[in-house]
Amino acid sequence: MITAFVVFTVAAIGTYLIRLSGVFLLGGDRELPPRVRTALSLVAPAAMGAIIANSLLLDEGDWRAFGPWHLAALVAVGVALWKRSMGWTLSAGAVAFAALLLAGA
Amino acid sequence: MPARPRRIGPQQRRDFRAGARAIAPLMPGSVVFGLAVGALINLAGWPAWMGPYASATVSAGASQIAIIDALTQGAPAVIAILTALVINARLALYSASLAPVFAAFPTRWKLVLSYLMTDQSAAVSVLTQDAWPNPVRRRWFILGVSGPFTGVWILGTAAGAILGPVIPAEWQIGFIVPLMFIAVLVPALRTLPAVAATGISIAVVLLLKDLPYGLNVLAGAIAGIGLASFIPDRADAGGASGGGSPEAVAE
Repeated sequence: MITAFVVFTVAAIGTYLIRLSGVFLLGGDRELPPRVRTALSLVAPAAMGAIIANSLLLDEGDWRAFGPWHLAALVAVGVALWKRSMGWTLSAGAVAFAALLLAGA
Repeated sequence: MPARPRRIGPQQRRDFRAGARAIAPLMPGSVVFGLAVGALINLAGWPAWMGPYASATVSAGASQIAIIDALTQGAPAVIAILTALVINARLALYSASLAPVFAAFPTRWKLVLSYLMTDQSAAVSVLTQDAWPNPVRRRWFILGVSGPFTGVWILGTAAGAILGPVIPAEWQIGFIVPLMFIAVLVPALRTLPAVAATGISIAVVLLLKDLPYGLNVLAGAIAGIGLASFIPDRADAGGASGGGSPEAVAE
C-alpha cells in the first residue's frame, strides 16, 4: 500500500512535467512556423484516433472479435457525421451498445 | 475587460459555465469510467482514499489502470512508473498543441490549466479555440472545460473505491473509452489533413499492435501527425491563417 502511494505520487509528478512540457517549451511570444502550427493542429485527431483504434479494435494487444463493440461504434460514427454533436454521438453509441448486448449480439 | 484581474466577474462566470457545458456530455462517461477504475483500487485491497488520490494527482485513467495492473501482478515499482509515463507521453503532444492556445495566459494560469489537462479537455480546448479570441475569456472557458471534468473524474473514482465493483462485468463498460473519443473526435473532423492524421494513426496502431506498454498508441499518434502534416489543407494553401478552418470537407 505504501508502494502504491509512492508509485502514484512519482507517476503524478512525472505526468505533470509531461503536461507542462509543450506549454512551456513552445509557449513563448515568438510566432511558430506554419509547418509546426499545422502539425500541432493534427495532435488531437491523431492521438484520439490512436486511442480509439487501440481500445475498440484491439483488446489487450489482440484483435477484438467482431461484435457489439464494432457495430455500436459504427452507429456512433454515423450519428457523429450526421449530427456533428458530442451529446448525440454519446447517446446513440451507448443506446446501440446496450441494445446489442441485450439482444445477445 | 481584463481590467479587474482579481475579481471573478459575471462575464468570467458565464465563460466558465460555457466551458463546463461544452464538455458536459462527456461527464457521465467520465463518472462511469471512474467507478470502474475506483473498483480496481478496491479489489487491490488498498484504502479507498487511494482512488481519488490517484485521480487528483495522476489524473489520467489509462495510466492509473496500468499502475494498478502492474502492482497487483507483482511488478517492480519502477516498471509501474515507467509504464504509466510512457502511456502518458501523449500528453506532451496535447501540451504542445495547447502552447499557442495558452500563449497569452499568465504563468499561474498555464500551471493550473496544464495540471487539469486531460485527453478530453485538451481536445475540446484546441477544437474550440477559434471561438474564443480574447485570452481572458478563453482561459475562463478552458478552466470550465477542464476543472469540472477532472472533478467528476475524482468523484467517480472515489465512489468506485468505496463501493467496489458495482458495475457487472457483462455490461462491458470499457466501451465507454472508444465511445467518448469518437464523440470528441468525429463531429470535429472536417479537414483533409485531420482525416488523414486519424486514418494513418489508426493504421499504425494496428500494424504495431504487438509493441509493449501501449507504445503502439504513441507511435500511431506521432506517425499520424508527422505524415499528415505534409498534406496541404486546401482551405489555406497560402499560410498559417489560424488553422481549424470552418470549410467542411465532405467525408
